[in-house]
Amino acid sequence: MVKTDTQIEEQIRAIFSGDTPWVTIVWDDPVNLMTYVTYVLMELFGFSKEKAHELMMKIHTEGKAIVSTGSREEMEHDVARLHEYGLWATLQRGDQAL
Amino acid sequence: MTSEGFKRHGSNSYVAQFAENEREILINLAEQIIELLAERVDHGHEDPLAAMVGITTHDAPPEDEVLHRLLPNAYQDQVDSAEFRRYTESTLRNKKQAHAMAMRMYLKSAKDGTVDLDHDSANAWLGAVNDIRLALGVRLNVQERTSDELELLAPDDPLRGVYIVYGWLGWLQEGLLAALMDES
Repeated sequence: MVKTDTQIEEQIRAIFSGDTPWVTIVWDDPVNLMTYVTYVLMELFGFSKEKAHELMMKIHTEGKAIVSTGSREEMEHDVARLHEYGLWATLQRGDQAL
Repeated sequence: MTSEGFKRHGSNSYVAQFAENEREILINLAEQIIELLAERVDHGHEDPLAAMVGITTHDAPPEDEVLHRLLPNAYQDQVDSAEFRRYTESTLRNKKQAHAMAMRMYLKSAKDGTVDLDHDSANAWLGAVNDIRLALGVRLNVQERTSDELELLAPDDPLRGVYIVYGWLGWLQEGLLAALMDES
């Protein structure tokens, strides 16, 4: 994925503050409907329909996508909410991701 | 299956009418999810405070394949995953049970088979229907089988009926999603 300037800035800031960012990854799953994945991403993260659809397509075509970045605690919270709605999500340190 | 699925009525109302057999199937499936999650009970709590704040005795993933899909690992690393599970699994189980119970309650109290959901209860329904589809998906082995293979299941194959219900639930979910995402 081509990183946006904001994402790069966030990561640089995190590296300099000594606080390595963590990421939440959603994995492709043959059961979850594409519309459902889009809807859950909109509901849980407040993404626009376009942004959620773009992420869903990335999950579908590439097998996985980062859906959020932040502290470990924040990512654990995101993973728990994604699990509540049946999405297949994991978290890991951002510098080990993908 | 005769229901036309969910339709949007006004700004915060999503209505579907179910035939008696559809209502029974949905109630039965919701109850199976509730029971399955209840099988994963926490036993032998020595520390009542730990139980109160939701720390469970489980740190290993469920052996049952369906339960494992409903309560997946949060980390690829086994040690981190076990730790996370110990502190969060019972909360996740309760939330999933609450979704299935809400769905069951709406169906049980449906007059003339009519279910009328608001945004929040529609989300609970989506979660519950999705959990049922995840469970059936494991039984159908959709991970390995293509949809063509599933379409070709013989009429006397016991999985054929499971596949029909699985497909119908997907259709029901699509309809509710379309109603929820309709911005007009």
